[in-house]
Amino acid sequence: MAQAVETRVADERVTLAALFVAFLKISLCGFGGGLVWARRIVVERQRWVDDQEFAETLTLCQFMPGPNIVGITTCIGSKLRGAIGATAAVAGFILIPWAVGLSLGGLYLHFAHLAILQNILGGLSAAAAGLMIATGIRLLKSHRSHRMALLFAALAFTGMSFVKLPLLIVLLGLAPVSIAITGVANARAS
Amino acid sequence: MNGRSASIALAAHLALLSSISFGGFPTVLPDVHNFVTANGWVTDREFSDFFAISQVVPGPNMILMMSFVGLEVGGMPGAILSALATFGPPCLMYYTAYRLWDRFRDRPWQQMVRRGLAPLTIGLVIAGGYVMARAADIGWQSALVTAAAVGVMLGTRLNPLWILAAGGVMGGLGLL
Repeated sequence: MAQAVETRVADERVTLAALFVAFLKISLCGFGGGLVWARRIVVERQRWVDDQEFAETLTLCQFMPGPNIVGITTCIGSKLRGAIGATAAVAGFILIPWAVGLSLGGLYLHFAHLAILQNILGGLSAAAAGLMIATGIRLLKSHRSHRMALLFAALAFTGMSFVKLPLLIVLLGLAPVSIAITGVANARAS
Repeated sequence: MNGRSASIALAAHLALLSSISFGGFPTVLPDVHNFVTANGWVTDREFSDFFAISQVVPGPNMILMMSFVGLEVGGMPGAILSALATFGPPCLMYYTAYRLWDRFRDRPWQQMVRRGLAPLTIGLVIAGGYVMARAADIGWQSALVTAAAVGVMLGTRLNPLWILAAGGVMGGLGLL
C-alpha cells in the first residue's frame, strides 16, 4: 500500500475538479456508447493512462457486475486520487447528466411519435456504431505486433457478434486459453 | 402498496440485480421488466418507452432508465432511490476490486493475466459496435454512414460530435 501512495504523490496531482469535469464531459457526450469518449478524453486529451492501461481497466470492469463505463470512471478516479477521486469522477459522470437526462426524457415522451425524430435517431445510431468500432480498432493498434492477441480479439468478436454467445461464456471460454498462451510466450522469451 | 414502500421494494430489487449484472445492466433488463410489470407498477408500453428514451438522451443510460421506472413508482424520491440502487453497489465493488488489482500490479502473474485478457476486451468493444450497427441498419445507406464514421474517426482528429451530428442530419432529411 505504501508503495502505491508514493507513486501517486510522485505523479503530478490531478485536481478533483479536473476529474469531475472530465467525466461530466464523457457522460454528456456519451450518446450511444460512453466508451468512445472515455478513451478520447482519458487517453488522448488528459493522458491520465495509456491505451494499454485503458484496455486493461476495461477488462477488469467487464469481469465485474454493473455498467462498465461507471467502472472505468471509478477505477480512473481511484487510480489518480484514491477514494475521494473515485467519488469526484462518479459524481461528475452522474449528477448533472442525470438531471438533464430526466428532464429531456420527459420532453421526449411527449414527441416520441414524430417520424422525423425516429429518422434522426436512426442516423445518429448508425454513426454512433461506427465510432464504437473505430474505438475498438484504435485500442487494437497497440497489439498489432502480437499475432496471438489479434487472433483472440477476433475470436471474442466472432463469439459475440456472429455466434451470439452470452458475454460470460465468451470470457470464461477464451480468457484461460489466452492467459495460458501469454504465459508460455513469456516463459520462452525469458 | 403505497409509493414509498413500493419505491423501497424497487430499490432493493435493483440493488440486488445491479450486484449480479455481469456484462452490464442490459443483461438484467428482462428481470426488471418482469418485476415491475408483475407488481403492476409499470405497463409494457411504458417500459419500452423508457428504454427508447434512455437510449436517445446522453448520459448514463441504464441509470436513467431505472430512474424513469422509479419516477413512475414513487415520484422524485423513487427516481433518486432507483438511481442509487443501480450504480451504488457496482461502484463499491469496482472500487474494492481495483484497489486489490492495483496492489498486485507488479507481480508477473498479473502482467500475464493483463496481457492475455486485453485482446478479448478489444474484440468485445468492436463486437458491441457491430451489434449496434446491425440494430441501426435500415439499408445500405445506414451501413455506409457507419463505415464513414469508422473512417473519419480513424483517419482524422475531428471531434466525434460532428460525426454524430452528420448522421443525425442525414437521418432527419430522410436520406437513410
